[in-house]
Amino acid sequence: MKKLYILLILIMAASVLTAAEKPAGEKISAGSKIMSGFKYKDITWSVPEVGREVQREVLDNSIIVYFMEDHRLPLVSIGAMLHCGEMYEPTERMAIPGLTGNVMRIGGTTHISADSLNLLLESLGINLQMSIGFDASNSGISCLTKDLETSVQIFADVLRNPAFPDDKLDLAKEQMRTMIKRRNDNVGGVVARELSHLIYGDNPYGRILEWSYIKGITRQDLAAYHSTYFVPNNLTLAVTGDFDKAKMKALLVKYLGDWAKKDVKLPDVPKIATAPKPGVYEIYKDLNQANIQFGHLGIDRNNPDRYAVNVMNWILGGGSFTSRMTSKVRSDEGLAYSVRSSFDPGSHDLGTFLASTETKNKTTHKAISLMLGEINRIRTEPVSDKELADAKDGFINRFVFNFTSADQIVGRLAALEFDKRPPDELKKYIDNIRAVTKDDVLRVAKQYLKPENLTFTVMGKLDDFEAPLDDLGKVIKIDLKPPVIE
Amino acid sequence: MKHKISLAALVGLLLLCQMAWAADDINLDVTEKTLSNGMQILVVENHMAPVMSTFVRFKVGGVNEHTGISGTSHLLEHMLFKGTKIIGTTDYAAESVLMKKIDSLAALLRDEKGKLHSKLLGGSEERAKALRDEIAKVQAEETKYVIKDELWGTYLKNGGSGLNASTSADGTQYYVSLPSNRLELWAFLESDRIANLQLREFYSERDVVREERRRSYETQPNGRLQEALIASANWSSPYAWSAIGWASDIENVMREDVEHYFHTYYSPSNAIAVVVGDVKADDVFAICEKYFGKVPATPAPPPVLTDNGPQMGERKIEIEFDANPSALIGWHMPEAGQADVAPLDLLSDILSAGRTSRFYKNIMEKKLGQVSASSSFSRFPSLFTCRVMPMGNHTVDEVLTAVYAEIDRLKTEPVTQAEIDKILAQTDADFVRSLASNNGIAFRLGDMQAVAGNWHYLLDYRQEMKKITPADIMRVAKTYLTKTNRTVVTLVKPASAGGDAAPKAGL
Repeated sequence: MKKLYILLILIMAASVLTAAEKPAGEKISAGSKIMSGFKYKDITWSVPEVGREVQREVLDNSIIVYFMEDHRLPLVSIGAMLHCGEMYEPTERMAIPGLTGNVMRIGGTTHISADSLNLLLESLGINLQMSIGFDASNSGISCLTKDLETSVQIFADVLRNPAFPDDKLDLAKEQMRTMIKRRNDNVGGVVARELSHLIYGDNPYGRILEWSYIKGITRQDLAAYHSTYFVPNNLTLAVTGDFDKAKMKALLVKYLGDWAKKDVKLPDVPKIATAPKPGVYEIYKDLNQANIQFGHLGIDRNNPDRYAVNVMNWILGGGSFTSRMTSKVRSDEGLAYSVRSSFDPGSHDLGTFLASTETKNKTTHKAISLMLGEINRIRTEPVSDKELADAKDGFINRFVFNFTSADQIVGRLAALEFDKRPPDELKKYIDNIRAVTKDDVLRVAKQYLKPENLTFTVMGKLDDFEAPLDDLGKVIKIDLKPPVIE
Repeated sequence: MKHKISLAALVGLLLLCQMAWAADDINLDVTEKTLSNGMQILVVENHMAPVMSTFVRFKVGGVNEHTGISGTSHLLEHMLFKGTKIIGTTDYAAESVLMKKIDSLAALLRDEKGKLHSKLLGGSEERAKALRDEIAKVQAEETKYVIKDELWGTYLKNGGSGLNASTSADGTQYYVSLPSNRLELWAFLESDRIANLQLREFYSERDVVREERRRSYETQPNGRLQEALIASANWSSPYAWSAIGWASDIENVMREDVEHYFHTYYSPSNAIAVVVGDVKADDVFAICEKYFGKVPATPAPPPVLTDNGPQMGERKIEIEFDANPSALIGWHMPEAGQADVAPLDLLSDILSAGRTSRFYKNIMEKKLGQVSASSSFSRFPSLFTCRVMPMGNHTVDEVLTAVYAEIDRLKTEPVTQAEIDKILAQTDADFVRSLASNNGIAFRLGDMQAVAGNWHYLLDYRQEMKKITPADIMRVAKTYLTKTNRTVVTLVKPASAGGDAAPKAGL
């Protein structure tokens, strides 16, 4: 591998930090003095690139293939990504993509029955996963080298010729029905679902799945969905492991090369209505701990401030123990096990800012107040030099862990193109983090944290709370109805 | 239809072909060294990326506890992130004076709580509150010396990834992945917390763990089931409580008790460190000798001898919780190293691994319920379990009946060799997959070294698996999966939570 300089600069970041630890007023331990004497030898590493570690080819029918050979273990894995998903469907059709992915996996193909396929896979120790999620289909097969051709053949067959038998569709529907019936059993799941619905409303990001959308789905719905989106010109493959690239390419051509192209047009997705819904939404359940989650709309993933927002959130509540919210609520006060905040950039539209914790009922108000206090503080005072340096060093030094295996490396590079990201985004990541200043952190905190817009969702034994939550906003009760599954 | 023949033919061919095990050809290149104080070090070199995964395991967990100090191993695991005499403090000596003060107040509070247990003993809520307030005051004073979460912060700014720790009944482990040039930093921090531990901020951390128990057990249907099963099946085994411990023990355990426990069980001879990644074994050994090697050797901890007697009949327990019904079944089974462990492991996969398994074909595909079986691999006799979740409107009893029918069939009809071969093929491939990440290797080696005394048992155990016959499966089913030997815990909705027709209204 060529000697490059990215991590060399990372290591320098750590030595700069040692200097930043010194300002008057910072507490210094005896141990930190010992550690500042440690010398770390330079590491030569750079962000992997297409054309160097990873090869990219386009088959005649427009399938994009990323390859990376790795012969340390007798394993091969093939990942497949396609653009499609629940996000693109109207509400009453929202279950079709997920069901299509599931029944592709459990239903066999027009060439081999489900039972024979499963027996074949399990007798060879091959893992096959098919799924269609919110905004993409992500599938994959993993096998021992000895079963490579069989695996390519199976994977191609499942991608191209799923059978969608009625009995397996019925089974998949019954599994979803059971899931819906049981969805109020888990307190964290209820609160997350209700909060997301409050923030996004009926936009695809906030919809709640109901049995009535599933009940009438037929195999024709799945077959039609499959034939619309599972076309070679919509497919990206990521192939890693113990193979010879030329032979692998020949196998892919053999089993996928005669798959005819077809136009694909993804439906438009409704824009998110950005009107905030401030308020306190309370759900009663006889539990000895309150589950607290609150948030508002955040940023999208193309926002140029995303690096500064990540650093700011790390200091606020994203950086586990060393973040301010956790330090206050957990370490100082012993009020909670888990306290965190996140800025999840939306994949196609605005994401969310979310904060959450769990505390015994009688400290609910106190825990929320302490978290809000930290939100207000980071919006009004600059963070310290040490907080900024520690956060940035962490992001920079951890970056290499995105590229520790062939699967990860190829996955990152393939996703860059698949998600239509700027091709140099990974290469510029470290520079972008390094450029974040204290002023940036304060500016983005003011711009993207809006305490007056927060929607609070709280579930617990409400009558045991030490104080009403009405000083946080208008209190609205949510009556949790049993899901309809008939 | 052009692939039809070839795919169908492949299924047939499988029955004829001689199984070749991919894992047999893998050279798991582990270098071992025992330091002068008895601590064991394992290293695997992997130069794919300039990173390493580390794993430090102590052979201490729930099994070493007794009621009164249940949960101490786990609480101690939390405390090891709170710092040492030289990390996390500006003045260890001054801080120690305050900690001693808190200890004396906490002892008075404990005695007061003891008196408050009975109206007859003359305890006073006022005195207890006064003591709590005084403790809070000294704790506040202590914070001026504390550097919050310095160990955690140091790892993070140096690129620490997957940083955490966990405690089970059998062991406690601390893990982090780092850029590989941080080897010395890791050895320094990990050895320091064994050599110089200081249990600061103890009483607030106890509160944190109490919240963790509410979060992971008391508000979760599965947590409630799990805890009820192990307590009901294990009348006198050290597996009777979960690693988190009983609520009242967490609320009352004393700092000195935990310190004493630490000195008993965190001896170097009770510890194993594994480093996997872009390192040289000799460098790792030299650094480990320099840092871990200077921790003085202490006596080996006492063995665990408490054991369950034979179970004298089926135990049935009901838990009321506001959630849809489910159940958990446990049968007593032997500890790792016993010949019947591998057949039970294979049997659990025949029942529930994959879409050709018996539970999937005969219970899930009939839309009755979702059932998973799981066999233990543990230091002491433990449980073989089945988790049962009815589908749609089916009841727990209907699914239990189906589960017992499948288990009875194992006792009367031999499983086929094809079923065994299928599981062996899956475990072979899964074993190879588990070696794909530094983390995966470090965990598997460290865990096996601790439970079996030798990481090599990973490979020996695979050989044991390959020798299992249908008769072995039938024998262990008959021996262990009996009505007399089982405990069944069922979770039901309390009447007060309302059925589907009468939802609980918000207040």
